[in-house]
Amino acid sequence: MKMIRAFIRPEKEQEVVLALEGIGLPSLTKMPVFGRGKQKGLQVGPVHYDELPKILIMIVVEDADIERIVKVIRDKAATGFIGDGKIFVTHVLHSYTIRTGEEGL
Amino acid sequence: MKEITAIIRRDKLPDTKKALDEIGYSSMSIQSVEGRGKQSGAICAEMDSEIPMSYCSNVKLTPTPSSYAIEHTLPKVALYVPKRMLTIVAPDEVAMKLVKEIIRVNMTGKVGDGKIFISPLENAFRLRTGETGCDAIV
Repeated sequence: MKMIRAFIRPEKEQEVVLALEGIGLPSLTKMPVFGRGKQKGLQVGPVHYDELPKILIMIVVEDADIERIVKVIRDKAATGFIGDGKIFVTHVLHSYTIRTGEEGL
Repeated sequence: MKEITAIIRRDKLPDTKKALDEIGYSSMSIQSVEGRGKQSGAICAEMDSEIPMSYCSNVKLTPTPSSYAIEHTLPKVALYVPKRMLTIVAPDEVAMKLVKEIIRVNMTGKVGDGKIFISPLENAFRLRTGETGCDAIV
């Protein structure tokens, strides 16, 4: 299993979530986060924004789905301008459903 | 070392903290998150057309696909369920004990109890003393 953490623009969140639902992956956890990338924030005229708001979407899926999901997130969240965000994929050893106590997604 | 990410009901947090305290692993990070599970994105929305005139309550909640709810701008759409996310870093040998304890405390048998994920973690550092590895987390 793999955990996908996608940092995306807040205004693209709904589109991404509906697209993921469309390919049969409705489960996700999301949280608002603040951060900056390699452009060190955003300079608009004299105003410098050091930390920009993003939405962090966390999904745990089987290994085979990774490419499909990354493609869907890129399709929906990419605008071509800086600040589109990042996707990180990490390894997950086990997962448990608390309701049944069983292992598995 | 293992990283345990547990997504649990909000009202179970005090019980979970107490239970983990009792077995001696009280350190954790807690975050407020929103999410949904595999109930195919079904949400409970108020659908006026389906409320019969004789219905005693003025609100009838029906499971609805979230895409439908957005398209039709249904009132009282709850797309996500608020949850608490715990992140606990524990040595390999106690990770399973903690998972069992969290499951025991949080299991109600109803949909929405949450999930637990276990991932491998390479190293940890304690900022105050500069300790590394398992010394830094116990």
